[in-house]
Amino acid sequence: MSTPLLELRDVYRSFEKDRVTIPVLQDINLAVHENEILCIVGESGCGKTTTGKIIAGLNDPSSGSVLIRGRERATFTKEEQSKLRREFQIVHQDPFASLNPAHTIEQILSFPLKRHKLVSDRASLRRRIWELLTLVDLTPPGDIVNKYPHQLSGGQRQRVSIARALTVQPRLIVADEAVSMVDVSIRVGILKMLHQLRAEFGMSIVFITHDLALAKYFAWEGRIAVMYLGRIVEIGRTPDVIGNPAHPYTRALLAAVPEADPDITRRKQPMRLRSDDIPKLTAIPRGCAFHPRCPFFVPGTCDHDVPTLAPSAEHPQEFACTPLQQEGSLQPYAT
Amino acid sequence: MNLFATVASPTGLALGVVVGIVPLVLSAYYRQWRAGLLGALACIMAGFGCGLIGGLPMMVVACAVVISYAYVNRQDPFTSRAALSEVSFEETRREAFMRWMANLGTNVRAGLNALMRNKSGFIGFCGIMFFVIVTVFGPLFIEYEGRARLDRRQPGARSLLAGPSSEHPLGLDWQGRDVLSHMVYGGQRLILTSLAAGLFATILAVVLGSAAALLGRYVDSLITTIANFILTIPSFPLLLVIASIIKFDDSFALALLFAALNWPVLMRAVRAQVLSLRERDYVEAAIALDLGLWHIISREVFPNMISYIAVNYIFTVRVAMYSIVGLVFLGLVPLVEPDWGVMIFMGRQQGVLANPLAAGMLLSPVVAIALFQLSLVLFTRSLEEVFNPRLRSGL
Ligand SMILES: Nc1ncnc2c1ncn2[C@@H]1O[C@H](COP(=O)(O)OP(=O)(O)OP(=O)(O)O)[C@@H](O)[C@H]1O
Ligand SMILES: [Mg+2]
Repeated sequence: MSTPLLELRDVYRSFEKDRVTIPVLQDINLAVHENEILCIVGESGCGKTTTGKIIAGLNDPSSGSVLIRGRERATFTKEEQSKLRREFQIVHQDPFASLNPAHTIEQILSFPLKRHKLVSDRASLRRRIWELLTLVDLTPPGDIVNKYPHQLSGGQRQRVSIARALTVQPRLIVADEAVSMVDVSIRVGILKMLHQLRAEFGMSIVFITHDLALAKYFAWEGRIAVMYLGRIVEIGRTPDVIGNPAHPYTRALLAAVPEADPDITRRKQPMRLRSDDIPKLTAIPRGCAFHPRCPFFVPGTCDHDVPTLAPSAEHPQEFACTPLQQEGSLQPYAT
Repeated sequence: MNLFATVASPTGLALGVVVGIVPLVLSAYYRQWRAGLLGALACIMAGFGCGLIGGLPMMVVACAVVISYAYVNRQDPFTSRAALSEVSFEETRREAFMRWMANLGTNVRAGLNALMRNKSGFIGFCGIMFFVIVTVFGPLFIEYEGRARLDRRQPGARSLLAGPSSEHPLGLDWQGRDVLSHMVYGGQRLILTSLAAGLFATILAVVLGSAAALLGRYVDSLITTIANFILTIPSFPLLLVIASIIKFDDSFALALLFAALNWPVLMRAVRAQVLSLRERDYVEAAIALDLGLWHIISREVFPNMISYIAVNYIFTVRVAMYSIVGLVFLGLVPLVEPDWGVMIFMGRQQGVLANPLAAGMLLSPVVAIALFQLSLVLFTRSLEEVFNPRLRSGL
């Protein structure tokens, strides 16, 4: 396989808070290839945004390395790094906070174009702004250019955010919950547009969401990484992960996804977890972090060793569940 | 040209008329008479009062406003509703310049609109303008009485002091001089010195506060330590001590000294603001786009602090004015007449604080200072609306 565009190797990241070290990410290993969609799913606070920021170069790992096309990011020279930075863009979750309220849309889009001399004169600057706004389906652009962000709807702003990321022709866009704050009715439009842009420019997209249904829809041709408490618990091609989930946590998430058909949803059996409390990052359980909640808990194994990611005979995707890897099946835990 | 003495002059009037013709001609060309006439008037006033320093910027602004009216319905390919393939973005230098001017004019109009929309803010603005006009244009109509007027002694009177009369609406002071003339001539230095002192303090606070927040580490701890140190010293008593050691015959030096002692409070506020603003998503996006530190300070962070800084500037001006009047009242800066502060000082010096006949000479400066301060406070209510595009009306 060719060298991935970006690779995280043994990434560990912690934050200091009130003199306590909080391990937010542990042993993160993942690769993003050119023109690929990688979806990161997990519940709130599991470290999705932190991972996204490390990918986008806005945050550095505490230890471990970030490789860009096989070369460690820290070894690039200053000029190379600033060029590199432009190749990785981020689209934030909150469309109300991601655009500066003091500038018009024209200004917002023209700053990067001018700064990096991506246009030669004023006419081509204006033409480029039009092209970008057309690309993100904000038409007619003439209606948008002179507006301030507060005069646009959430969906429109999110499109402007995407257009702004496109100004520097990135190779990868991190979309951090990019549609979770816009109306459901326009979500699909934005997701379709992202798909088209990826096809057109051959970029990769790291799509972060807490909604497995959205991940399934968006990343069907790509891969999914499921995170739990700062670790990746399962990663593989989307049809494999969704169609035949291996890790109990993924199974629980999938069992909770409502279907469009209410009858199916009603008949669906939610998976009974042993506990609904998500442990705090300051007190991550020993062994597999999921074991206090896992219905397939095996005493002595799960609460002892940290499971490693590996595929099995039935599951081509990698997952971190020792009993399943060893036994090939899971037995309900009887109290 | 002395920054601290801006008085209407005939040369200024001539200059004002000359620059005022420009927007007028422009308005004739575009048939925007109303804007043109108002603009010409503003130019004449500005030129009259401040010469070229006031006249030229006012001319540009007035022309911009005229152009903004004329360009309102003009077809700009950039804002057209046609398809990309049908639009030509080529434009001449002249067109680009005109559009820039129209944009400036629209912003000025939006700012003025915002100013007028807030009632109390507008009252404050009018109050400030009143004092500005009186001090700048008053000297044209009222002659300054600097010498004692012993000839005004009433037979049998104990002093030269007198209450209001039709000839001297604010009465006579202890030397028989017209109080009104002192009021007209005596505000200028005080107002300009306070404005300058506030400006210096604000600039120091903004520069140091941003540096502390953005550079962090040693710079931050150094600046914060100095600020905390200055904050622990009561600044007015220190000002007193310094003023009694060094004689400030220069308003500029006095303004600087005030700034040196009064930047810390605002600096801490600015630092906190920058710290919170730099965490915004749009700043992170700017970092990802590699727009550079300078861009982030000047275009992403600063525009969102302008109204905050402006309001704080006004409050600093208020404090500066009180401090300066206080220093004058205590006789710690060289007393140069005419000056509102000196008038109060003289009242104390001459022991007439309790004399009803001295009401004119004592109350006039006190009321003027209080009204000016009140106007400043009211004016701050408008500032937020003037600078915030969300609150400013879209024209
Ligand atoms: N700069 C920081 N300083 C301290 N703690 C941080 C910082 N950034 C993130 N954290 C902590 O790291 C943990 C993971 O945060 P992160 O934002 O990556 O989660 P997330 O999966 O994106 O959650 P959400 O779905 O709520 O966005 C949280 O507990 C958060 O409090
Ligand atoms: Mg997040």
